[in-house]
Amino acid sequence: MRQAETTRTVNLLKEVDVAVIGAGPAGLAAALACAEAGVSTLLIDANDAPGGQLVKQTHKFFGSERQHAGTRGIQIPSLFTEKLANYPNVEIMWNTNASGFYDSGELVLEDEKRFMKILPKRMIVAAGASERFLIFRNNDLPGVYGAGAVQTLMNVYGVVPGDRVMMIGSGNIGLIVSYQLIQAGVDVAAVVEAAPCIGGYLVHAAKLRRAGVPILTSHTVLAAHGQESVTGATIAEVDKEWQPMPGTEREVECDVICLAVGLMPLVDVLWHAGCEMKYVPELGGHVPVRDENMRTSNPKVYAAGDSGGVEEASSAMVTGEIAGISAAKSLGHQAPGADARLAQLKADLAAIRSGPTGEKISAGVRCATVCGGVWE
Amino acid sequence: MNRKSADIVVIGGGVVGCATAFELARLGCKNVVLVERNTIASGSTGRCGAGVRQQFGTELNCVLAREAVRIFEHMDEYLDYEPGVEFRQSGYLMLAYSDQQWEQFQRNVELERSLDIDVKMLTPEGAREIVPFLDLEGMVGATFCQTDGHANPFHTAFAYAQAAKRLGAEILTHTSVMDIEVENNKIQAVVTDKGRIATSAVVNCAGAYSAKIAKMAGIDLPVWGERHQILITEPVEAMMGPMVISFHHDFYCQQTPHGSFIMGIGMPGEPKSFNIRSSVDFLEGMANTVMKILPPLGNLRVVRQWAGLYDMSPDAQPILGECPPIEGFYNANGFSGHGFMVSPIVGQAMAELIILGKSSVDISKLDAGRFERGELVFEPAVVG
Ligand SMILES: Cc1cc2nc3c(=O)[nH]c(=O)nc-3n(C[C@H](O)[C@H](O)[C@H](O)COP(=O)(O)OP(=O)(O)OC[C@H]3O[C@@H](n4cnc5c(N)ncnc54)[C@H](O)[C@@H]3O)c2cc1C
Ligand SMILES: Cc1cc2nc3c(=O)[nH]c(=O)nc-3n(C[C@H](O)[C@H](O)[C@H](O)COP(=O)(O)OP(=O)(O)OC[C@H]3O[C@@H](n4cnc5c(N)ncnc54)[C@H](O)[C@@H]3O)c2cc1C
Repeated sequence: MRQAETTRTVNLLKEVDVAVIGAGPAGLAAALACAEAGVSTLLIDANDAPGGQLVKQTHKFFGSERQHAGTRGIQIPSLFTEKLANYPNVEIMWNTNASGFYDSGELVLEDEKRFMKILPKRMIVAAGASERFLIFRNNDLPGVYGAGAVQTLMNVYGVVPGDRVMMIGSGNIGLIVSYQLIQAGVDVAAVVEAAPCIGGYLVHAAKLRRAGVPILTSHTVLAAHGQESVTGATIAEVDKEWQPMPGTEREVECDVICLAVGLMPLVDVLWHAGCEMKYVPELGGHVPVRDENMRTSNPKVYAAGDSGGVEEASSAMVTGEIAGISAAKSLGHQAPGADARLAQLKADLAAIRSGPTGEKISAGVRCATVCGGVWE
Repeated sequence: MNRKSADIVVIGGGVVGCATAFELARLGCKNVVLVERNTIASGSTGRCGAGVRQQFGTELNCVLAREAVRIFEHMDEYLDYEPGVEFRQSGYLMLAYSDQQWEQFQRNVELERSLDIDVKMLTPEGAREIVPFLDLEGMVGATFCQTDGHANPFHTAFAYAQAAKRLGAEILTHTSVMDIEVENNKIQAVVTDKGRIATSAVVNCAGAYSAKIAKMAGIDLPVWGERHQILITEPVEAMMGPMVISFHHDFYCQQTPHGSFIMGIGMPGEPKSFNIRSSVDFLEGMANTVMKILPPLGNLRVVRQWAGLYDMSPDAQPILGECPPIEGFYNANGFSGHGFMVSPIVGQAMAELIILGKSSVDISKLDAGRFERGELVFEPAVVG
């Protein structure tokens, strides 16, 4: 072990108007709104580049036009960073993890070498979501991946995860990643889905079917096999109660088991900040209770993007901008036309959530909105 | 709640309450009910460092700890607990940083040896043979007891709770004690949010909340909560055997069987409270202290920090036994930061006292009456 001479506590307590945690679409939009309003803004991300989940999205965007539909996901971050570069009141810290928020109002940051404390007047949490895992035998064997990880490997680093993949989950992520695997020359043995019907858009499913990939609904994975790494898996049919049916087990040969079974909002910092939280399955798990300006029960803390409930990139950009405008406004700063913009954004958000797939999200959002829509 | 009456109600599902319920059932008490407002080990027990040491400065504490260690050594069989409580006897290394402290340590060792506890006296260099990366600056000497160690506090509490259940005790979780009915100085019933349990005896094992429970029976108990913080690092290869502790720095640190380092320091000026929120001052103070004493640990990432309550008493010693004038009201609290290590013997002693009228280890000096009598117990070896 090295001696710890490189690790240093930096006792400087840096003050800033707004700290934005996460530079995915939500955090980027929030930081830009703060920049435009003229407040000092610190944007923090654990990665070395902006974009969050977007960096792996080589496909063209669905969603609303004002939120860059038709643009490829990977192109969106630079649209923001180019604009942010023009604002001297914005500072960005890459490779920096926001690891704790304390009752004293201090936000703790760390990178490889330093431990830093920030005293933000407002904080916008846009930390995104993390992938869910599944419990089955040997699920810790090398070769068991999350779908997001597989996408990052392929689309960011140009590395394929293996030769033959079994995908678990037929939501849009499972379907899109399966198709991207095929495009990269990887075999997809099957898409396994516990529900009786396919979760994602049928356009994506149809592409897979044409490529000859079976989509096995009412099925689940029971075990991974292999000594050093995955060499196969046992799958089985499930009944209406999602219980595996004895006698239906079968073996699938594969060297990768890819889990695309949903996302869970990353809300640790919101818990630290004492925000009122609620378990809302429609939004992916525990989420903060918010008003329509994205403010949590802690008047200094806002949440945007997937951290406030798992949705998609367009709503992440809208909620991020709403949070940014509102946080700056609460400090007495506003860009010209901000009120009209805020009204427009709220209308956009309602539109994004109004489609047939938005039903579930809207129900979740109603659950996680403070009584009467505003904090007392 | 089906239960309408009990011979004895144990309040609190920490390690002390669970051990007491088990020992009561083991002595043949068929109708024991343990009431816990949250889940087993959700209080201080599940938040503690779980170190077990026999190096103390009073005979009573040495004997209690020694007897507890003897139970810990065979606990998996004793409680028939298959997962195991993970008791490891990797020792306690206690560091002295002044001549005065070193003299006290030497007196302690003399006492410990007279009580059959095998403790070594070491030079700073000798201490370094046990922990090779120990920084020796300012250190005068150290003592080491190989049979000290640590266990898993969750498993220990679960093991006692499950064994108690097998012997017929009933464990009610998510049940809060709201009141205690007393008539003519005799316990009548324990009232919970899920119903009333008629009983003539209560054991107050509510940790830092023990004064609130006592108040329900009309007793002023001098026990209060004091926040103590702790953190754990990422796991790494096994590199440190013993718990390292320094009273001078108010510091302790231990590598768990899983490989992560768990550590705490006392924070000066901590007020009486039930606050269990974490502070950034602790994180910084902890990091600076551990890097001074065990420098390579500065390379490790902190995975989590949390806080728990010490159930403090005026002399930082436990309060054990019946509590006059209320007949049938027993205390097992006030552990002041070392309740986990003595819990096995405390459970036994309490059960013996309640069922047989006398315990095999004499705990009479630790009764609640000592504060009025002015007979406080002075223990020179405590760490925050
Ligand atoms: C595989 C996949 C495909 C998708 N496809 C589409 C699509 O086609 N169209 C669409 O609209 N949406 C799509 N989405 C959804 C969309 O990507 C997300 O909803 C969106 O990225 C959420 O944005 P966000 O800013 O809230 O979070 P994220 O994009 O997840 O960004 C969060 C950022 O916060 C950082 N961070 C987190 N915690 C900390 C911390 N403690 N300290 C510092 N930094 C931190 C992370 O490093 C990350 O950069 C897809 C999602 C996935 C996973
Ligand atoms: C950071 C820290 C480190 C520590 N390190 C060590 C160590 O290394 N070694 C050691 O020996 N000790 C240590 N301790 C001390 C140790 O944790 C305690 O002494 C021990 O756990 C006490 O156990 P208990 O069962 O008495 O209390 P607790 O575990 O606190 O149990 C009391 C229970 O009573 C319940 N309760 C309270 N009120 C009610 C009510 N009205 N109705 C129903 N239930 C109620 C609570 O929910 C709780 O579960 C440490 C403590 C802390 C905080």
